[in-house]
Amino acid sequence: MIGVIFGVIVPYIAVAIFVAGVIYRIINWASSAVPLKVPTTGGQQKSFPFIKRTIYDRFDSPYTKWETAGRMLLEIFFFRSLLKNTRYYLDRTSQKDARWLWLFGIMFHYSLLLVLIRHSRFFLEPVPSFVETLSNIEAFKGVFIPSVYISGLVIVVALFLLWLRRIFLSRERTLSLPSDHFVLILLLAITISGNIMRYFIKADLYEVKELLTNLMIFNIGKAIEVANNIEPIFYIHFGLACFLLAYFPFSKLMHAGGVLFTPTRNMPNDNRARRHVNPWDPADVPLLSKGITVAGMTFKSKKLDWDTYHEMYADQLEEIEEADFKIVPEEL
Amino acid sequence: MEEAPERLEIRQRFPSWREMLKPVKKFEEGRVSYLSLPKQVNSEFFKMPFGDVERDLDDLKLPENWKEIFLDAMKDTLEKNRAFKVFMDICVRCGACADKCHYYIGTGDPKNMPVGRAELIRSVYRRYFTPAGKIFGELAGARELTEDVLKELYYYAYQCSLCRRCSVFCPYGIDTAEIVWWLRRMLSRVGLNQRFMTISIEASSRTGNHLGLLPGGMYGSIQQGLEELKDITGFDLHTYINKKGADVLFVAPSADYFATPHWYVMLGYLLLFNELEERYGLTITWSTYAGEGGNFGSFHSYEAAQLLNSKLYKEAERLGVSFIIGGECGHMWRDKHQFINTMNQPPKNEEWKRFWENPDLGELAEGLRGIRFDSYASGEHGWIHILEFVAALIEHKKIKVDKSRNDQWIATYHDPCNIARGMGLIEEPRYVLRNVMNNFYDMPEHTIKDKTYCCGAGGGLLADELMDLRMRGVMPRMMAVRHVYKKYGVNILLTPCAIDKAQFPHALEYWKIPVEVGGPMEMVGNALVLTAFGEKPEDRQYDLRGEPLKKEEGE
Repeated sequence: MIGVIFGVIVPYIAVAIFVAGVIYRIINWASSAVPLKVPTTGGQQKSFPFIKRTIYDRFDSPYTKWETAGRMLLEIFFFRSLLKNTRYYLDRTSQKDARWLWLFGIMFHYSLLLVLIRHSRFFLEPVPSFVETLSNIEAFKGVFIPSVYISGLVIVVALFLLWLRRIFLSRERTLSLPSDHFVLILLLAITISGNIMRYFIKADLYEVKELLTNLMIFNIGKAIEVANNIEPIFYIHFGLACFLLAYFPFSKLMHAGGVLFTPTRNMPNDNRARRHVNPWDPADVPLLSKGITVAGMTFKSKKLDWDTYHEMYADQLEEIEEADFKIVPEEL
Repeated sequence: MEEAPERLEIRQRFPSWREMLKPVKKFEEGRVSYLSLPKQVNSEFFKMPFGDVERDLDDLKLPENWKEIFLDAMKDTLEKNRAFKVFMDICVRCGACADKCHYYIGTGDPKNMPVGRAELIRSVYRRYFTPAGKIFGELAGARELTEDVLKELYYYAYQCSLCRRCSVFCPYGIDTAEIVWWLRRMLSRVGLNQRFMTISIEASSRTGNHLGLLPGGMYGSIQQGLEELKDITGFDLHTYINKKGADVLFVAPSADYFATPHWYVMLGYLLLFNELEERYGLTITWSTYAGEGGNFGSFHSYEAAQLLNSKLYKEAERLGVSFIIGGECGHMWRDKHQFINTMNQPPKNEEWKRFWENPDLGELAEGLRGIRFDSYASGEHGWIHILEFVAALIEHKKIKVDKSRNDQWIATYHDPCNIARGMGLIEEPRYVLRNVMNNFYDMPEHTIKDKTYCCGAGGGLLADELMDLRMRGVMPRMMAVRHVYKKYGVNILLTPCAIDKAQFPHALEYWKIPVEVGGPMEMVGNALVLTAFGEKPEDRQYDLRGEPLKKEEGE
């Protein structure tokens, strides 16, 4: 029974929620307008040819779409903004580079990537050779028996470090919501159960692979048959992972997709070369002069065009006109 | 003027997450902005919803269905601004931004951490717009919108100077300025506006500048500048105002017409314009209608910013200029660089179009041939920063400068937030300063360029009632100034921002650092040799402050 519920029903539901949820969130973000071009410029703008720009300036204050793409890639793969992190010490009124968060973040995310790549062996037949090679390298195959996958251990360590930050650093403790702790605990539970399964209470991985491949081709009858043969320890790991998938679109974990949608990072700093058009403002007459409507009432500001202005201050403007629009020092 | 306390204590507090969700009820003195009066927000020229009653924080006199209006405004914002929506969703509360905010460093108030500030509105967003918040409530970090929460939103929305320093360090580029700006817009929909900025917005909408100067006043002020320059240089100088057919429109922040030390920068502009006209025939005009570069609307809302900056392109078109030069101002350049050509249609006059087909200054004044703007600008925008312009003039050897005239100064340069992080103008001012003076030193790396600290008074916080907050917010910047003061003996802090120039004299006095404040164009004005008037480098006897350049013998 456990096999049917956690081996067949739950994964289908989880994947469905995950896919639908992520698509919904992305469409939801994409459907929101981008009124202004607001990149945060972290370096020298493109300027006259004699103002030199370093390679960092090109990425931090991108002018072309390639430079912008470079900025995004550096952000995604190297967490470049976190790498700039400093810490302010009140008592010393000085600052130091503080890259611990960057280190923990990199440790976690790259371990996760390696772990996911390794797990692709359960879904793909034949297993791609680079997956094999990568696994062999990180396990120092032949040194330890059985092979120890470094990423699987590092990810646990990194998660603990990230969690300890939230528990022991006062600022981070104040900031952390229950959901922040919850995600870390969930990930810890998944990774620890995975490691237990790998080194202590083993599950039959051939059966697991058969279950997953059958699920993938919707061969449900066969899947149920296999599911019932797998050891319960697998379902702890697998069930939690399914829960994580279903939870993903509704949580802060969506930062994985959101980072691509950040206007302060994904727009080039070329405002002066190319005009950005606001989809909801034709920019012909100021919106306030047309009037804004709140709770059924319209509030309209007078448009001060030149003619109105001239009418209001006619005597003074005419004096300027009489001086032929020229200002000279007064004769004393 | 209200004073900050003699002894400034920074009390750091680290409440629990539950406590963070509860609205603060006791507002610190010196950190709450006054609410607008009807004459500012119910004016013919700037009419905001429900602006017709006088409010204070004890009695907000909210419209009956305020909650509905606020949530509608929020829904509207989520649809109209992707940045706001994405930033509501993707923050992971990693804390990287926390100690990057100068207000947090100065106050120790956890809700002044950029993430804390964003959580104030994010918690409301979760409650009304996400399934998790609707179901799990407080456990999901969500909270009801109550009148206390609204007051708290107002209190903290006006403790942010929109400087974007947090955005540089955020792994997702979450920009608190974006969140706070649109939050202020939502607050304005239920009648909550900050008095200080709306005074200027209303004045600018009515008269063309924040100070409410009438055309004659602006004329007289510039005239006085020319008179002072006559005393200093001995030459009869002139300038143009509202002149049709000029080559260039010049737009400065209105503080330059009156305030000190802005005034010396104004004199610098005038010297440069005269030299360029006499020597090359490039005519530059001021305008009373478009007399304001700074845009306090850009602290308030998209609509208010647009109302104020809509005049500038119109005026350029009416006067028939070829491009626009903007003066020394910080947030003005966020507005002029990133907003103005989206909020308005660029000018369509013939001269403008013709110039931008081949944007070489030689097309306007033969002697300036070779200075081209097309490596980064086009006729779809058309604004050049005065310091970029001067940098190009120096590089192409079109003006003659005598560095030694600035020898009494040992300078450091403060990057205004919006120029550094909203524009990327970082090397040009340094290029200019190195070329017009001999003693120039930068502050420590963590406090300049894209990591520059705010002056603590930007974003509409230059109000007197916020003095405590301002003196706290400026603290990191002042420590950096003190460092170079001790190390190099720096005696002037240069900044191309009008708000900085208003804030720093108070701040330097408060933090007891004996350093003057000025603008780069003042240094340019000092060093500029008026060759077209027959001036020799050694001729000038006084600097723009009226001080003798050479010390008397025997002193």
